[in-house]
Amino acid sequence: MKELRQIAAKLLTDGAVKVVIGWEEGPRGARAAFVTRPEDAERLIFDARCVQNLATYLSPRRRHVVGLGKAAVVAKPCDAKAIAGLIRESQVKREDVVILGVRCGGVVREPTMPASLTAETVADRCGICETREPTLYDHLIGEPQPEPPRVTRREEQIAALMQKTPQERFAFWSQQLERCIRCHACREVCPMCFCEQCVADKTRPVWIESSSHPRANFAWQMTRVMHQAGRCVDCGECERACPVGIPLNLLTRYTAQSVEKRFGHKPSDDPSIAAPIGTFRSDDSQEFIR
Amino acid sequence: MPRIGVFVCHCGENIGRTVDCARVARELGELPGVAHAVDYKYMCSDPGQRLVKQAIAEKGLDGVVVAACSPRMHERTFRRACSASGLNPYLCEMANIREHCSWIHEDRQAATAKAIDLTRAIVEKVKRNRPLEPIRIPVEKRALVIGGGIAGIQAALDIAEGGGEVVLVEKEPSIGGHMSQLSETFPTLDCSQCILTPRMVEVYQHPRIKLLAFSEVEAVGGYIGNFEVKIRRKARCVDETKCNGCGECQSVCPNKKVPSEFDQELGRRTAIYVPFPQAVPNIPVLDRESCALFKGRAKGFKEDACGKCKQACGREAIDFEQQDSFVTEKVGAIVVATGFQLYSIGKDQPTPQLKGYGEYGYGEIPDVIDGLQFERLASASGPTGGVIKRPSDGKEPKTIVFLQCIGSRDAAKGIEYCSKICCMYVAKHTMLYRHKVHDGRAYVFYMDIRAAGKGYDEFTRRAIEKEGAIYLRGRVSKLERAGDVIKVYGADTLSGEPVTIDADMVVLATAVRPQPGIESLAQKLSISYDAHGFINEAHPKLRPVETSTAGVFVAGACQAPRDIPDSVAMASAAATKVLGLFSNKELEREPTVATVNESLCTGCFHCERVCPYGAVERRELKDGEGNLNKVAAHVNKGVCQGCGTCQATCPSKSVELQGFTDEQIWAAINAL
Repeated sequence: MKELRQIAAKLLTDGAVKVVIGWEEGPRGARAAFVTRPEDAERLIFDARCVQNLATYLSPRRRHVVGLGKAAVVAKPCDAKAIAGLIRESQVKREDVVILGVRCGGVVREPTMPASLTAETVADRCGICETREPTLYDHLIGEPQPEPPRVTRREEQIAALMQKTPQERFAFWSQQLERCIRCHACREVCPMCFCEQCVADKTRPVWIESSSHPRANFAWQMTRVMHQAGRCVDCGECERACPVGIPLNLLTRYTAQSVEKRFGHKPSDDPSIAAPIGTFRSDDSQEFIR
Repeated sequence: MPRIGVFVCHCGENIGRTVDCARVARELGELPGVAHAVDYKYMCSDPGQRLVKQAIAEKGLDGVVVAACSPRMHERTFRRACSASGLNPYLCEMANIREHCSWIHEDRQAATAKAIDLTRAIVEKVKRNRPLEPIRIPVEKRALVIGGGIAGIQAALDIAEGGGEVVLVEKEPSIGGHMSQLSETFPTLDCSQCILTPRMVEVYQHPRIKLLAFSEVEAVGGYIGNFEVKIRRKARCVDETKCNGCGECQSVCPNKKVPSEFDQELGRRTAIYVPFPQAVPNIPVLDRESCALFKGRAKGFKEDACGKCKQACGREAIDFEQQDSFVTEKVGAIVVATGFQLYSIGKDQPTPQLKGYGEYGYGEIPDVIDGLQFERLASASGPTGGVIKRPSDGKEPKTIVFLQCIGSRDAAKGIEYCSKICCMYVAKHTMLYRHKVHDGRAYVFYMDIRAAGKGYDEFTRRAIEKEGAIYLRGRVSKLERAGDVIKVYGADTLSGEPVTIDADMVVLATAVRPQPGIESLAQKLSISYDAHGFINEAHPKLRPVETSTAGVFVAGACQAPRDIPDSVAMASAAATKVLGLFSNKELEREPTVATVNESLCTGCFHCERVCPYGAVERRELKDGEGNLNKVAAHVNKGVCQGCGTCQATCPSKSVELQGFTDEQIWAAINAL
């Protein structure tokens, strides 16, 4: 933590960056912090409550953050994958961001929880995560971290769902999506949702109806998940942001599993590795063409 | 309210038999926005077209839907009719109620209902059509021909004779290609060089042909009528403007033992060399790999180890410091004529799909040679002066076994296709052999004899019936060295007997494959190629010399195995296409291309990655004070072929294909 604060203060003092995006103590646990003065670097924290994916603030869509000037961002390995995604898709230039990579031993499910990691508290995605430190960084901060508790409850849930008949699965998702209020928090929080105008907001034609009824909700989530195929970094923010508690992560994770199975692609923090969308390889699996 | 006219065609009985066309017209006429609806026996006939024209004039139509056949058939007909009546042609569309309906259904009720649905969908689309204007682009009346074999030479000469300018690029030091290596040609046995070399000289002397030998295409930009091609001129170490081709440098070069590529490594050449005496241009190339001076420099010698050629050169043309240089040429059309190479039976293969021939010793037996090597042995200009000698000991072979289909037609070796030329040249080889070694015995193992061509079957019959070649139908399972001879173990499937022949030499008719590096060239040109690397033609029957990219044409053996007459015919066809293109002052292109809504574009450039034609560019958008706002995608209208891949890929739906906008397609689908 000391190392992080020192580097952040120095970057700001030297004028190398105008803002350091990290986490700070908030009234309800860890929250995003935008530090613009060297003396405020003391506010920065990093522990297992630092759940949020801060890469989302690098998206050019966040004009209020972009307006602050060149940014440094604290990045867990999964956040670094999102930054790589933004670089890959020309949203951020590598030289325009200073990445403060942090070694990570997993995070808890909610930033309001205590920072102790147990099989009950650890975030689902961390329960299977193999990456303890990012490879995309300018500074790598912190001691080597132990592996988080191994939990596979989300994978089991997906496997159980896939055991069901399509009709049963449809019934399950109908029930879940019935509760969607179309607040689009899942989109707003997502680091990889950076379109200037979302297809869901298009009016000529109206691809996705904006009112919240089952048909529109299905259309919205299916579109969102398909747009994330091969791009989602599995930070879990969509599900965490959902005010009605729809298990959106099951959809994104299953899509990621399918992309990996079909195209051998896993989200990576190497911006030079092309995402499967828009990439043609002659050995691409084509069993769906019959 | 729109005023759409609907014209339902019976197509004689083709549609009328299964679809109640009168009912289709009646029901469509009741749709809001449809101002006129009729049916007619033959809408594409003159009276039928007159119905369309009259209705536009009399009813003030602002859109036309013709429910008839496929738009591939008559869209142009009806668009022209609309245009003649003052209606923008892109406000006219066709509903396909023939291929999509009457031809594939039997139930009249259901087919009629479907025809109504299909037509209604197009009516809804046309209500949202916008007038479009054709795209006009200027044409650079110069062509690039890639490859200086017989196909490239023919294409270059035909284009130049037709008034176009040509840049001919050849990667080897001389033009001529494989044809210059051949001894005689089937089916007339005329001397290959005698008919080829005058054409090579013609190329060199033609005022409208610019020959860039020992050069390769580095990058291709632009589009039909306006390509920009970057060409690498490889360093010859000889100044082409000074050299007069006297040959002094070659005669003094101390390294005379370099295997000659032209002689298929059966002969030797010097380190500085002209590949063959009739080379065009007759300018030597210094092969740095085998030159003592460059080998010394590579080892770090302080002083140059040689330099005899430079001293001998009376014109100071030799320049050891010469580097590769680049030239950029603007051309309006490109002809790809890169030719072929022969399959090698060796262990090392360029791709895992191709497999060598372990049973033939992976090409390690010295007197097992391929067809091109035999050509060099038989050629008067070859390493033996046209005397047939075997490579191992120079002995005259008394028995030669020729094996056909080596690699070809063999899926296990990764080559399923027929190489086409082998049956003919093997027959030719047996004759050339008999003409030179009168008591020699030529055996041929074949699978089938494919001699379809003018004078071809007569030619193979002559080899068998008059020239004593012994044809055995079957394959050879093994080649084995046994003392002085090669044991050939084969089967004669017509007699059902196994055959063993003691051969002095074995000649393999190995498969024809495209040149190495063809894939990377094809990618530079954005043209498609098949699994073997042969360039794909735009249509196998109707567009045989066009490629998937407008303005790029193909000729010769880079498209499929081809013999000389086929290559020449194809080259002339490609030249005709080029000259046809050049006969236009401007090109008119369909305006159905993609456009980007720059204000919505997020600049993720998925479109750039998926565009098969390289039509997507990055455009910087600046505000009034010149500050960079963002970088957005921009579609070059000249390059775009309107395939719509970018439109499908764009996550924010900021790309629209003109004439097929999301709104139009949405409306059409919603009408169903």
